[in-house]
Amino acid sequence: MTIAPGLLPEGFRDRLPPQAEAASRLLHRAIVAIGRHGYDRVTPPLAEFEETLAGRLKSARSQDLLRFVDPVSQRTMALRPDITAQVGRIAVTRMAHRARPLRLCYGGPVLKLRATQLRPEREMIQAGAELVGVSSTAAVIEVLLVAIEALEVADVTGITVDLTLPDLVETLASGALPIDPDKIDAVRSRLDAKDAGALAALGAAAYLPLIEAAGPVALARAKLAGLGLESRLDAVDAIAAAIGDRATVTLDPTERHGFEYQSWIGFSLFGAGLAGEIGRGGAYSIVDANGGEEQAVGFSLYLDPLVDAGLGQEPRRRIFLPIGYDTAAAIALRAEGWTTIAGLAEGDDGRALGCSHLLGNYGPTPY
Amino acid sequence: MAEPLIIAIPKGRILEEALPLLARAGIKPEAAFSDENSRALRFATNRPDISLIRVRAFDVATFVAHGAAQLGIVGSDVLMEFDYSELYAPVDLDIGHCRLSVAEPVAMAASDDPREWSHVRVATKYPNLTRRHFEARGVQAECVKLNGAMEIAPLLGLADRIVDLVSSGKTLKENGLAEVEVITQVSARLIVNRAAFKTRAAIIAPLVEGFRAAVAQKAA
Repeated sequence: MTIAPGLLPEGFRDRLPPQAEAASRLLHRAIVAIGRHGYDRVTPPLAEFEETLAGRLKSARSQDLLRFVDPVSQRTMALRPDITAQVGRIAVTRMAHRARPLRLCYGGPVLKLRATQLRPEREMIQAGAELVGVSSTAAVIEVLLVAIEALEVADVTGITVDLTLPDLVETLASGALPIDPDKIDAVRSRLDAKDAGALAALGAAAYLPLIEAAGPVALARAKLAGLGLESRLDAVDAIAAAIGDRATVTLDPTERHGFEYQSWIGFSLFGAGLAGEIGRGGAYSIVDANGGEEQAVGFSLYLDPLVDAGLGQEPRRRIFLPIGYDTAAAIALRAEGWTTIAGLAEGDDGRALGCSHLLGNYGPTPY
Repeated sequence: MAEPLIIAIPKGRILEEALPLLARAGIKPEAAFSDENSRALRFATNRPDISLIRVRAFDVATFVAHGAAQLGIVGSDVLMEFDYSELYAPVDLDIGHCRLSVAEPVAMAASDDPREWSHVRVATKYPNLTRRHFEARGVQAECVKLNGAMEIAPLLGLADRIVDLVSSGKTLKENGLAEVEVITQVSARLIVNRAAFKTRAAIIAPLVEGFRAAVAQKAA
């Protein structure tokens, strides 16, 4: 069977102008903004041995990786579905001797084995930063402020930071709101879906206030009073205060949604007019070579929804240079910000090539 | 001013019961909404910041999961079938009660022992839910997806069994079928798009609270 010209595998696409340029512009702006906070860039490879990649990914299992046998080493390799784990590997191996806290940032494509109906892309651009060696409230605040700044320079407006407390259910189950250990997984999954009906049916109605608590921080705090969570909630308050009016801060105490590997705090990032989540992060621990653990906080941004929403595009003034044009004048035009399209043959039509102006004897002339 | 919120309401079964709840939550749709013959798809309400759309039950979940509508009312059967990660179901509306069951011809049921099944062929509107349900008990389910009139499938030999909603059991009986296993109890839920829930919390949180209060008021 032949494949129609141009057909790509499901979940893959070509980026054309102007989105292709917008995508690289947004990535560049975000990385530069992150870098100014002292995060040094690392570039891990696109593929690794499955064993080392899957071992560090707490968010994905081997069967969620696109794997193949490396014809050279005859070992199974996998394409990365996430860069965070690779940065963690670098931090505890090659950069284990560097002073802590270690600030690293990254940006590049990742590949998911399966797309979801809601996110059909299997290839996406991920950018982010990891702060290795600490996971204090101060570290979380720094990372969140860096993430917000990276989104701001990428033209995202109306930013919402949704905080979550990933180990809350375990904490409560062994303390204030005991539940049958067999039921913890089911309760957690229903809390994640905020499925009030199913939660009540599981006999965990005591947890319903947690669903009701999801929302603006002040309101959530009031509803969580008296559950022995004061130190956590104080940290949440400190974070909300530090963010101030740069973003709306909400607290969703029981969100799971891929936060399984986060420790005491996780967050999701949203932007006005952008479908779904555009970033996420939190505190976690990295397993080092000796089996020990190192604390870290980090975030990842997914830039494709921004590109799809038309962010990062800049209007270009395109001018056509007819054959025999003045080279010095063209250099001057480019220095002024013009984009020049040079004629190569007599019949070349500047208008058809997207130019608004023509370089005439007296400078740029509108078509 | 921000875009108006859209609430997706399913046609049919749940619609009638949903209207009084909406009213108690302070939302009154324009007259055309209750008119089955109206061809309009989008309706205004007494609140300028909220409008309604009327779509098929399965599509309610899809519209809300993708964020095309921010809220919706839908049966828990539909939620279980799709298992969309981007949907929250914060309020059990306590309406639209029924159950999702496995049924088979009466004659077959007389000699059949569900404990001995290894493979079943099932006609259903809920292929994912059905497959998951049977897998969890170690049975491989081959699903034939139908969009309606499931009850006829066993009679015509399309599949031995069906998985469908049962309320009184009358339709099953009329088609010579017997209910052999209840998969789950079903009720209608208020659903909210995850991103909208976070980014528009200021307007959505009170609305969800309003529905919660409306359900409590009805129960009282």
